[in-house]
Amino acid sequence: MRRRGYLVGAVCLALCAVMLMPLLASVLASLKPTAEAAASPPTYLPGALSLDSYQRLWEYQQGLPVYLFNSLGTAMLTILFTLLLTVPAAYGLARFPVPGKELLFVVLLLALIVPYQALLTPMFLMFAKLGLTNSLIGLAVVHTAIQLPFSLYVLRNSFAAVPRELEEAAIMDGASSVQSLRRVFLPATVPATVTVALFAFIMSWNEFLGALVMMSKSSKFTLPVVLAAARTETSLGGTDWGMLQAGITISIIPCVGVYLLLQRYYVSGLMSGAVK
Amino acid sequence: MRRGRRNGWVGLAYLSPALLFVLIFTVYPLVRMAWMSLHNWSLLTPPRWVGFDNYTRAAGDRQFWVSFGFTLKYTLIITPVLIVGGYLLALLTAHNSPVRRLTRTVVFTPVVIGLGVSSLLWYWLFSTDFGFVNKVLLDLGVIGDPVVWLGVDADRSNLAIIASVVWKVIGFGMVLFVGAIQAIPSDVTEASLVDGASYRQRVTRIILPLTLRTVLLVTLLSVIGSLLAFDQFYIMTAGQPQNETATSVFFVYLNSFPYLKLGYGAALSMVLALTILAFTVVQLLLTRRSHP
Amino acid sequence: MVKHWRPVVAALATVALVGACGSDPEPTEEQAVQPATTSCASSGELTMWERSGGNKQMVDLLVEAWNTKNPDCKVALTYIPHTEMVGKIAQGIASGEVPDLMGMDLIYAPQFEKAQQLVDLTDRIKSWPEIATASKGHMTVATYEDKLYGVPLYADVSALFYNKDLFTKAGLDPEKPPTSLTELKEYADKITALGGDVKGYYLPGNCAGCNIFTVGPLMWASGAKIEATAEGDEPLTGDGVKQVLQFARDMVKAGNVHEGDRAENGETFHLQFGTGKVGMMGTGNFNITLARQQNPNMKFGIGLLPGVTPNSSASFIGGDLVVVPRGSKRVADAVNFMKFLLSDEVQVEVYAKALNLTTRTDMVDNKYFQAEPLVQDVAKALDVGRTPYTLTFFEQINSPQGPWLQMLQKAYYTDESLDTIIADAKKAMKTVASQG
Repeated sequence: MRRRGYLVGAVCLALCAVMLMPLLASVLASLKPTAEAAASPPTYLPGALSLDSYQRLWEYQQGLPVYLFNSLGTAMLTILFTLLLTVPAAYGLARFPVPGKELLFVVLLLALIVPYQALLTPMFLMFAKLGLTNSLIGLAVVHTAIQLPFSLYVLRNSFAAVPRELEEAAIMDGASSVQSLRRVFLPATVPATVTVALFAFIMSWNEFLGALVMMSKSSKFTLPVVLAAARTETSLGGTDWGMLQAGITISIIPCVGVYLLLQRYYVSGLMSGAVK
Repeated sequence: MRRGRRNGWVGLAYLSPALLFVLIFTVYPLVRMAWMSLHNWSLLTPPRWVGFDNYTRAAGDRQFWVSFGFTLKYTLIITPVLIVGGYLLALLTAHNSPVRRLTRTVVFTPVVIGLGVSSLLWYWLFSTDFGFVNKVLLDLGVIGDPVVWLGVDADRSNLAIIASVVWKVIGFGMVLFVGAIQAIPSDVTEASLVDGASYRQRVTRIILPLTLRTVLLVTLLSVIGSLLAFDQFYIMTAGQPQNETATSVFFVYLNSFPYLKLGYGAALSMVLALTILAFTVVQLLLTRRSHP
Repeated sequence: MVKHWRPVVAALATVALVGACGSDPEPTEEQAVQPATTSCASSGELTMWERSGGNKQMVDLLVEAWNTKNPDCKVALTYIPHTEMVGKIAQGIASGEVPDLMGMDLIYAPQFEKAQQLVDLTDRIKSWPEIATASKGHMTVATYEDKLYGVPLYADVSALFYNKDLFTKAGLDPEKPPTSLTELKEYADKITALGGDVKGYYLPGNCAGCNIFTVGPLMWASGAKIEATAEGDEPLTGDGVKQVLQFARDMVKAGNVHEGDRAENGETFHLQFGTGKVGMMGTGNFNITLARQQNPNMKFGIGLLPGVTPNSSASFIGGDLVVVPRGSKRVADAVNFMKFLLSDEVQVEVYAKALNLTTRTDMVDNKYFQAEPLVQDVAKALDVGRTPYTLTFFEQINSPQGPWLQMLQKAYYTDESLDTIIADAKKAMKTVASQG
């Protein structure tokens, strides 16, 4: 039994190593001096540590801070919009005998089966009329539309899993529906809400094509758009590998950071949302 | 039994902002897309009504079928890998010991990285001259010359992309499976232990049946995701070679953006959406049957 | 400054034209036609789009020069990833959200001109003396039905670069580049025979654009025609197509190209010659400076891309045009920017100084090029160069998924009959042209 325990432990650690290797390789590559980052064949470890690649990215076109601000702003707005829309909707779907509920749920999940790439042009033309292009709000709306089905699905299941007794007790105390939402459901569904926010963040932070379509000023570009351009950055469209690695590392850090911080929430959130 | 402790119309009120949002920002563009699919439109010249021409054209378009076939192939290969692999990982790490918890955390980490970013990362790892994959394989003596992973041989490109996507998403299924396994009431497992059931028997007779619903759900999500695959191919092969790795959505993108054939792209999207809808309905029916 | 107001009619006509086909016209703003100058007539930022990659350094220099001269009317550049440029412009035009001016891959210009999505600049620029000497290839595609829509932003021409060190080692005369395909093959065989990492020639196996740039001219020089101009036009005519495909297949079979070339999708194309491991290769003027940076000790020369018959040659004139999208609010200043680009001073002190080709052929003789004979050699390609003219260039030729690259890949790397391969490509190109 003990031997088996060691075996499992060894397998686990090997797995961890395999999973982490690509990330580690990218971070290390981003720290190589320019010439080494473009070396073929590549070196495993940087011969010397250098922030050259980050410097080039920092000064790229409008400057990295602009792009980070746009990406972060869009992601925050996406989280806000997603939660404002899906929390009440999940509550309504899970706890009320809404007429035509099943059909409405299907309509709300519609975006799940349509390739959103094809919806971007109609959306763009509409947004141009509404003055929502070149705007973080507009882009956040697009991202919210993409992210809404998943969020609603997870939250609805999570709301449905809240024990009926809790709600009944609140109703006995004379709580209105808003009050029960606030006192009973919101606290009980914190993990699912955090999960939904986390995934909304990841989606928005990384989304490329929608951002490219909606934005036409480089002062409004987001990080993924810049990364795509950076792929063809050297003269005549070659890849600046070092800068690309720096960009990848910077894209990854907030996602992994938030994930590690909120880990204990999202695991139970995802489970309550999906296992049901 | 459903008692109306809350008024349905109040529920509808809670639902209405999301509903309104979806009507404006999903259903309306969808209707526009359906309208576009009946026109030829380049954005540069006014749309021209062509009826169902775009649909009949798709049926006779070799690339449409190549893309569809490739997407199916990709889906059929990656889904079992993700489900079986994810499930095995879940069995391995379902108990709460520190090393297992760590493993779960690590295996899930790539899930939180965007697919676009992970594809860029793997694009570099698989690069012929600059990538680590060839470097490692060469140093280990597995290969004699650098292998061209992406864009030259369709099956090799597919393999490389599948490897990268498995790395990226396998943790998602694993976490859900772990959740399902841990949700099995402990008296059930204990009873089987008393009966002297072997580990394999416990897995096949108890754990698997009791988590089947989750398995089906993850399968559904994974299949939909694979049928709509785009980012990884857009970044890593751009459809090369010979458009053999152009997935259905990639073909939609080509028509809707660089080719400026919005009508045709819209028609292709409609076909794809209906295919996925049909698939989803079938799968949901199966799920219902397995769990009355 | 004296302002000569041209007849208001012209202005109204422009506005009417713009308004007539626009979903989002700018009816309140009358854009009067006035003589162009090389500086800004009004103030406020000019917005400009340009594709990423390519000649970023050159365009940055040009914009910087303009901005220094016109601090009140700076050009604000936005680089769009080049694969998305066409879609982006079309969306911009359809929604009225366009920049004041833009750099456009010259190859796509006819498509936008035909759709009347660019501002007709004939009356404003046609009479300029600079236009007469502006790069012919650029001006051909800047013209649609006798109307003029733009001027060159920069020029890329293709030529045959060869490594003089390797020539000497292989016993070839380093002052005599090959002048026919037969010689090209012969020389390549000899250089490959040197062994080691060295190969005689280079073929970009996975890059449609690189091939039209460097293999297309081999076909033109052999008398062939490649693209279908419009519906009903026959593409891939002339024996040159098959001869060049056969030549390329032989080159691959003889081991005259590196194995890894097959994966070249354009991302490392520009770095190949500078490695010193390639004997000869078709590439562009941009490669001069780059090869020097990569490999300062390497000696190399530049000849023209040859055809089947001795001393035939051709070149692809590529690059970007500056055009004004319909809906631009600053047409007059966009035109001033064009005038600025074509001025003697900018031609010499910006383009030539950076060792980029001047976009006017009469400016080739300047102090910077005189010090740099290689640039003069490559400039000769301007005289034999051409630019394909088609409304569906992207789909026929430039797309990684298009019939052009598919044809080449089958020719280079399979044993399928060349006639079948050409027939298939013909059919596909015709279909594309008929849908354009």
